[in-house]
Amino acid sequence: MRDFFASLYEWFGLSPFYSTDLGEHLRGYDITCSDYTGTPWYVYIGWIMIGLTIFFYILQYYIINSPGFNKRVHWWLTALVIILLNFFIAFILPWNEWQAGDFCKQLRITLADCLGFAASNAIWSFILFLLITSFNIPRRWAGHNTTDTTFWKPKS
Amino acid sequence: MARLFIFAIGGTGSRVLKSLAMLLAAGIKPNSQYEFEIVPIIIDPHKSNEDLKRTERLLGNYQSISNETGLDNGFFSTKITTLNNLVSSENRLSGSFTFNLQQVANTKFKDYIDFNQLDKPNKSLADILFSGKSINKRGEKVDLLDTEMDIGFVGNPNIGSVVLNQFKDSEEFKEFASNFNKDDRIFIISSIFGGTGAAGFPTILKNIRDAMRNLSIDGKGFLQDSKIGAITVLPYFNVEKDEDSPIQKSDFIAKTKSALYYYKDNVTGNNSVNCLYYIADDYSGKPYRNDPGDNGQQNNAHFVELASALAVIDFLELSDDNLQSARGKALNPIYKEFAIKNESTDIKFSDFEDVTERKLGLRLSQFLLFKKYLDEHLSISFEREPWSVRPPELNQQFFDDTFYRTYLSEFLTSFREWLEEMSDNKRGFSPYNLDSGLETLIKDRKAKSGFWSGKVDYKMYDDRLNKFSKDKSYRSAQQKLINLFFETTQDILTSKFGLK
Repeated sequence: MRDFFASLYEWFGLSPFYSTDLGEHLRGYDITCSDYTGTPWYVYIGWIMIGLTIFFYILQYYIINSPGFNKRVHWWLTALVIILLNFFIAFILPWNEWQAGDFCKQLRITLADCLGFAASNAIWSFILFLLITSFNIPRRWAGHNTTDTTFWKPKS
Repeated sequence: MARLFIFAIGGTGSRVLKSLAMLLAAGIKPNSQYEFEIVPIIIDPHKSNEDLKRTERLLGNYQSISNETGLDNGFFSTKITTLNNLVSSENRLSGSFTFNLQQVANTKFKDYIDFNQLDKPNKSLADILFSGKSINKRGEKVDLLDTEMDIGFVGNPNIGSVVLNQFKDSEEFKEFASNFNKDDRIFIISSIFGGTGAAGFPTILKNIRDAMRNLSIDGKGFLQDSKIGAITVLPYFNVEKDEDSPIQKSDFIAKTKSALYYYKDNVTGNNSVNCLYYIADDYSGKPYRNDPGDNGQQNNAHFVELASALAVIDFLELSDDNLQSARGKALNPIYKEFAIKNESTDIKFSDFEDVTERKLGLRLSQFLLFKKYLDEHLSISFEREPWSVRPPELNQQFFDDTFYRTYLSEFLTSFREWLEEMSDNKRGFSPYNLDSGLETLIKDRKAKSGFWSGKVDYKMYDDRLNKFSKDKSYRSAQQKLINLFFETTQDILTSKFGLK
């Protein structure tokens, strides 16, 4: 699972948004710089990202399920909340550790790295929300007011 | 499918027919084991009568709507057809609902009876039978014999009975007779205090019961012993006093009495009708403009016309056993009247007896709720709400199409006008706050709304439309619109307003 999320956030080896040092820390490289026994942040943040996205999908499509919240503008509003929350979580957790010095000192981590990772997490949450709301199958089981709500319809 | 042939005679006939079309459009159906197809035949020499024109247009729109949507959608679920639709194509008459009275337009009554060709004794007899004054279409006073009949018989049944007797020799009567089957029924609508209706009812009834003697028609046996119902509308409205007009309120009762006296021997006395409905209202309310016919004669809809239309529904609910005839005579003639529970000048649903309230309340309210949504909320929701975008899509193209823009919109506009006119009239029928929000739409009925149950508003309406359209398949966009709104409005009114 760790490798799966790592390859996801590192864009399958391209790693354009943050340094490999942050990547090592997120993989769980421990404070003594000896092994990957530290907190596996990739896995935690990955699951939080999936959980939050699914939570907001359920919230909009099943619980709120209202004619007052089923237009494409509402989809984008939900997407914005998902993006911001995932950005914040993916930023604050590594940043707190960086501030507290709880990481292997051989690794060089910067604020830009934290922001880059947060952006990656936000983008993946957006992609996931886009995917689960674009296909007919999961939406068919959604509430009667939202089965037709996607990023492009219905118009507002 | 059995048929009900409705002969709607004169201005009252047209107006009652209009009320019936509204009830059928709203989905009110007889509680009967048989489905009936309605074949209206309007008999009125006054072709420019606005009430007749309005009814014809309404029936045409009804027919177009039900042809496109089918009959299984709640609203518009009873088939209405013209007589010519029953006839094979090569013999078709004009496609209208109106019986074409020959030689009436621009014809004086004296020319119609060839008065100048009569010998002296017959001329004298005609002078006695048709003495008195009337008016022509320019409003000028003329002798009765000089009456121009294209504005009707102007309250003169003695003229009407002569002219309407041509009915038995008409192509329409032949077509009607040859298409009349054993299970079919006949209903005759007329008023008793005017000219056309008072004369037309016994004339048509006699021609049907005497069909065996008519050599030019087929299907005589079925006609002679057919199940015939009729409503004779007694005076129910007031007219402005106008000394120069041949229509006087003070004559209504005298004319009614003499017609009833005639009916005693020739309609009820000889058991010609299987079920006869009487309706009247002695409440002297807001007077109608005194228009003998020369100004188009458009009267506001009246509650009595709605109650008269209910007689048609009631007639269809009677079992065949109650309507048996032999040798042209009803074996067990039935006579009925209509009453409301509370004496009220502005009738609401709670003023009806339970059976009438149940018959009208839910369905009429559904139709009004349908109309209100289209007027007040459609522009906000179409192409936006799932019920609209789900296939078949109800999009701009659909709402620009003739079905919606002409047939349905015109029908629903007439429905709203009909309710407004009945509400304005005195005695009025005003069970609705027509311009209020949804929660207070029905007088005497408060919508259930609260924190948990939610408000009754268009958001809730959309929610129900989305609910009922989910996972449903429809034959066409037209059928979807009618069917979906019927199901949705029924759900809202039963769950939120407690209507049954």
